[in-house]
Amino acid sequence: MKPTRRELLGIAAAGVTIGGAALAHRANVRTAQHWPVSSVSIIKVPAYTMDVYDAVYRIVSEHNLNVRGKRIVLKPNLVEFDPHTAVNTHPMVVHAAYEAFRKLGAAEVKIAEGPGHRRATLDLADAAGYFSTVPKFEDAFTDLNLDEVSKLRIPQPVSQLKSLYLPHTVLDCDLLVSLPKMKTHHWAGATLAMKNLFGLVPGGVYGWPKNVLHWAGIAESIVDLHHLFPRQFAIVDGIVGMEGNGPIQGTPKQAGVLVAGSDVAAVDATCCRIMGIDPKKIAYLKIARGEENLEPSAFRQIGEPVSAVRTPFQLIDPWRQMIQAA
Amino acid sequence: MIDWKSRQNRDGGWAYNKGGSWTEPTVLILLAQSVTQIDRPGFEAGLNFLRSTQRRDGGWSPRPDVDESTWVTALAALLPEEAIGAERLKRAVAWLEGQTGRESGWSYRLQQTIAGNKEKYPEGWPWFPGAAAWVIPTSIGILAFERALTRGENRKLRERVNSGREFLFGRMCADGGWNHGSNRALGRDGDSYPETTGIALAALHRAPEHKTIARAKEAARRHLATCRTAEGIAWLRMGLAAHGEPVQSQASPTPRTAMDAALSAIATAAGTPGGRNPLLS
Repeated sequence: MKPTRRELLGIAAAGVTIGGAALAHRANVRTAQHWPVSSVSIIKVPAYTMDVYDAVYRIVSEHNLNVRGKRIVLKPNLVEFDPHTAVNTHPMVVHAAYEAFRKLGAAEVKIAEGPGHRRATLDLADAAGYFSTVPKFEDAFTDLNLDEVSKLRIPQPVSQLKSLYLPHTVLDCDLLVSLPKMKTHHWAGATLAMKNLFGLVPGGVYGWPKNVLHWAGIAESIVDLHHLFPRQFAIVDGIVGMEGNGPIQGTPKQAGVLVAGSDVAAVDATCCRIMGIDPKKIAYLKIARGEENLEPSAFRQIGEPVSAVRTPFQLIDPWRQMIQAA
Repeated sequence: MIDWKSRQNRDGGWAYNKGGSWTEPTVLILLAQSVTQIDRPGFEAGLNFLRSTQRRDGGWSPRPDVDESTWVTALAALLPEEAIGAERLKRAVAWLEGQTGRESGWSYRLQQTIAGNKEKYPEGWPWFPGAAAWVIPTSIGILAFERALTRGENRKLRERVNSGREFLFGRMCADGGWNHGSNRALGRDGDSYPETTGIALAALHRAPEHKTIARAKEAARRHLATCRTAEGIAWLRMGLAAHGEPVQSQASPTPRTAMDAALSAIATAAGTPGGRNPLLS
């Protein structure tokens, strides 16, 4: 019987360098070296219409993910109750991904999230339109803040974390699909697919907010989490993103794009360029890939070129001076 | 009446919703039973779960397979002495005495002083050891120490209660309520939440009359008019009732978790004439 990801990581924790640990190690070592050219899809989707379903299916198909028989976890970004802002991943994007992975033969598709500030996750999902958009949403959903957990040692941590409790739902999956909103972030500069992984950390153990990650270093903790989950895919909801004082109090910004790929750092770097942000100035991207591997030449763009969809997002001080692209 | 028995795990504890037992919902369900109707065998099994999971350091972890005591120790310290035992409570309070937000620890204060920052950092409680203090654990910490003070005066506990209140006053949002504890970021005001406004207001039920309490009550009333979560409504009702203002909400959403159901039951008991809130002293 195939070992689960949790079992593999459990073995890694015992010091045997296989599975996730080996991949995490490789990611660390690769930081200062050459990365293979990654494919990143940019698809124009002007509004939340039924076209979203076709676009997401096309993206997932194009990347040949081989999801047949696999367990997939979709991780959206649920933050606040206000349905009139662009704070949460739009439910249509989540449902489109849910349908696409099922259609491509996934054995199981779950939706899972652990919000960082608000504890009533199901109420939050309801207010964000998830119950009305995703049929039988509650059956497909896991609140990662309250899931069963296991403690994992972090092999070669970048942050001050040595270990983390993480939810079984994400440890047991074959592919973690990060579905963030394209937003500015007042502590990290931009919050995209990598930063979205903070929602994997269980509030039931660490609290709301998950402040241990802040003390361990925000950028470094993002990278550590990223390394713990080498089997990832990302689809960034940039149809309407958030600019200004994100990730909560910013204003909606229509960028009209979905950005996707298996190399999540590459996806984030591409999103930054679309947003008018220099990815080399975003600390977690710099740590994850090294500056030289964040150059546009490091990625192969599928679909639209960045120049065709570039939509500069308004940045607040001090980020305006620090990360705005030339 | 809520059927707590059917939701109880074999180990005597309760999950938030489904799955293994957690300390927080177990304590809240026991407290809810204490002011509604006690299912005696289930209640005793719940206490046994907590007795068996108290850690050597006197604290409780969020769930048995987490090997660190955390803020939930303050919740457990709200259980009646006759139920959980005086010695267990004493050890829990001793553990809580040793916990403060990292920002009020000597190392961080020294760094800030060297950097020229003279801001005061009153001692609150963190969710997890080594992190900063936040509104919810500080509120529950205040309530736990107020409860301990009813068992005997203690200057140190009294000082921590006062410091905790100072923390809450300092973290109040511009709109008069509280969010998780970040009332300003990069010079911009944060908005308050219903549940944290209710919890902080409840924790300040014995604070000396303060003009900010009146503002907080106004914020709580505003939240109550629009809040649609069972958790938020329950805490807002408890917060207002703690200040002599028992209120009903126009909305009565079905609790989505066992913890929400427990909070709703406690809020109803607290708002009933002659009723009491088992979280308050």
